Amino acid sequence: MTVINSVIAVIGTFLVAFFIALWLPGLERKFVQARIQQRVGPPVSSPGFMAPIKFFFKETIKPESPMPRLYNALPIISILSVAFILLFMMPQMYTFAAFAGLIAVVGLLKIEEVIYMFMGSLSKSVLSLKMPFPDIVKGAKHPDAPRSFLEELSTKRAFRMIAFGSFPLYIALFVPVVMAKSLYLSDIVAYQQVHGPVLFTLAGVLGAVVFFVGYMVLLNEYPFSILKAKADVIEGPLLEYASKSRAYVYISRGFLMVVLASLFSTLFLGIPPNIFDWHSIVTLIVVLVFPVIMAAVSAFSPIFTYRQFYPVVLGSSILGVLAIVATFI
Amino acid sequence: MDEDNQKTNEKVDRKVIETEISMGPVHPAALEPYRVRLFVEDEIIKDAEITVGVNHRGVERIMEGLPVEKANSLTEKICGICSNSHIWNSCMVAEKALNIEVPERAQYIRIIMEELERMHSHMLYLAHGCEVLGHETLSMRMFYIRETVMELLRMIGGNRVQYGAPIIGGVRPRCELDEMRIQKLKEGMDTVEEKMTEFADRFVSDPMIMSRITGIGTLSQKDAIKLGTSGPTLRATGVEKDLRRDMTVYDPFEFDVITQDDGDVKSNLLVRVFEILESVKIIRQAVAGLPEGKITNRSWEMQDAPITKSYIEVPRGTLYHSYALQDGRVRHSVIRTPSITNIGAMQYACIGQHVTDAQLSIVQCDPCFTCTDRAVKIIRLDK
Repeated sequence: MTVINSVIAVIGTFLVAFFIALWLPGLERKFVQARIQQRVGPPVSSPGFMAPIKFFFKETIKPESPMPRLYNALPIISILSVAFILLFMMPQMYTFAAFAGLIAVVGLLKIEEVIYMFMGSLSKSVLSLKMPFPDIVKGAKHPDAPRSFLEELSTKRAFRMIAFGSFPLYIALFVPVVMAKSLYLSDIVAYQQVHGPVLFTLAGVLGAVVFFVGYMVLLNEYPFSILKAKADVIEGPLLEYASKSRAYVYISRGFLMVVLASLFSTLFLGIPPNIFDWHSIVTLIVVLVFPVIMAAVSAFSPIFTYRQFYPVVLGSSILGVLAIVATFI
Repeated sequence: MDEDNQKTNEKVDRKVIETEISMGPVHPAALEPYRVRLFVEDEIIKDAEITVGVNHRGVERIMEGLPVEKANSLTEKICGICSNSHIWNSCMVAEKALNIEVPERAQYIRIIMEELERMHSHMLYLAHGCEVLGHETLSMRMFYIRETVMELLRMIGGNRVQYGAPIIGGVRPRCELDEMRIQKLKEGMDTVEEKMTEFADRFVSDPMIMSRITGIGTLSQKDAIKLGTSGPTLRATGVEKDLRRDMTVYDPFEFDVITQDDGDVKSNLLVRVFEILESVKIIRQAVAGLPEGKITNRSWEMQDAPITKSYIEVPRGTLYHSYALQDGRVRHSVIRTPSITNIGAMQYACIGQHVTDAQLSIVQCDPCFTCTDRAVKIIRLDK
């Protein structure tokens, strides 16, 4: 009976998270950004729910890529890696100790990040080098220069994001670890049930701020969206996605928003996602509040180039280190 | 190892560019089609090449042989943003060639139209600039402010884009300003002044925006002069040159020539913000001192005239129109818009910038590619 209950809890939580994920982009755009920008905005169901449905029924177009199948498979891999994080965050899965730990979470998040590099290097859209335009003509500058696709630029940026961009998030993840003196989620949750939420400590507050910066960086949201800056690389690594693959991209992003907010709830409030626990209402609130704050911040920010990006990441990382130091106080 | 070093040294000696990144002519950040090739090293631009010419419609060629009134109307179609500037200048060529005296009231109405157009052009520039910066909220806010000006243009000209106000010898009767229109103009100017001031305060007090635009796309004063830039692009480098000062029709009006010193994106944006406020000042003076009398002089006769030239200050710089008249028809029409030199100069403004700032560095000169594409390309298939 307990096993059946656990299975129902896991599947139920998973489905609820999935359903909420489909509405978050709409919430972001309709109720926050559109309000701030004094416009009507799209229907709340449109960006996250109806758009993927629409794309599922669009004609499948083969992407301009040397490995189109792999390119199309990448958003599914991304969804799977995010889904695994959610899965092992649930208390019913804590028996799989090796996976229900911070190392596994960091590893799966890294997969999510690395996927952008693969996407960028596999996409060869018409919007740059393949544009039928007579560039190399008499009098043209540097006719011998090696030519690059716009998406290759995104690949380099994705690499930089892996190297330093998401650093604040990973520091913030380790604040509860240091406090609970354990890498396992079960221990971190148990510690907070005894000592109260990590968020209500100085280290927790600092860690939460750094976590939020990392949340925005990982979601490539304004102002941290240099990976897909419209001013140059347009959609960046996602440029060639159409029809079903585009739908998976949308779902993946919404799902990542839910999972990262649930991770915050687990690590900083000690409340893992579980539909059979009424405390999970707090998780739901966090899941809804994070995109709202993110949308408000992004509505008032220009895109950061590295000139702004480096100081923000450096500052956040220092704050994260201070948070870890504060855990010893 | 030695071989590798040798190859690297050879590359350095030959100044080989690491990578070329090309964008356009179709690109979401570009309002109009153009091609830009960026030669980059580690995402920093070492050289740039901008190519225009994909938007050519051959307006001058079509003008050839048309009756002068029709040709003037056609010039309005050159640009959707500065349509009034083109038709005004084209009419001025005919008036100069035929010695037609324009009634003073008509001159005032023409100036009101031109300044309204300058305002909406600069506002469009600011909105687009914010969009390229990635700041959609400020972009949309600017479009809201612009609506007031667009509605005033519609009220006077009957259209939001091509108002067809100037005709040879004055302005169209439908552009006459009655009391109701004058009142709306006054109210509109109050609204624009208030909202633009708020916008400017918000804009310059945002550290994130200032960090993105300060020191980006810098064009030195020396280069700006050498490369023949004009208008706000030139004034943003500190050169106090505004052709309106030399136009006799602007003599009754007091206004300041706005300059900034740095020649970067910030300077370009600020020059235009303050120029909008100067336009408000000019329109207020024009409305307050609007002379009585007729708005069109119809007592003129068509005669042949040699090539006549006219220069005026339009939102982007100096606009040149010239043509000759023969049997009432236009001959040898030439139009030169300010963007052609301004865009060329932006190739230099891009150098040293990050790739993400390339579009920003280019659009800082408020390029208008539809205006600019004037060259005729003749392809001889027999050779």
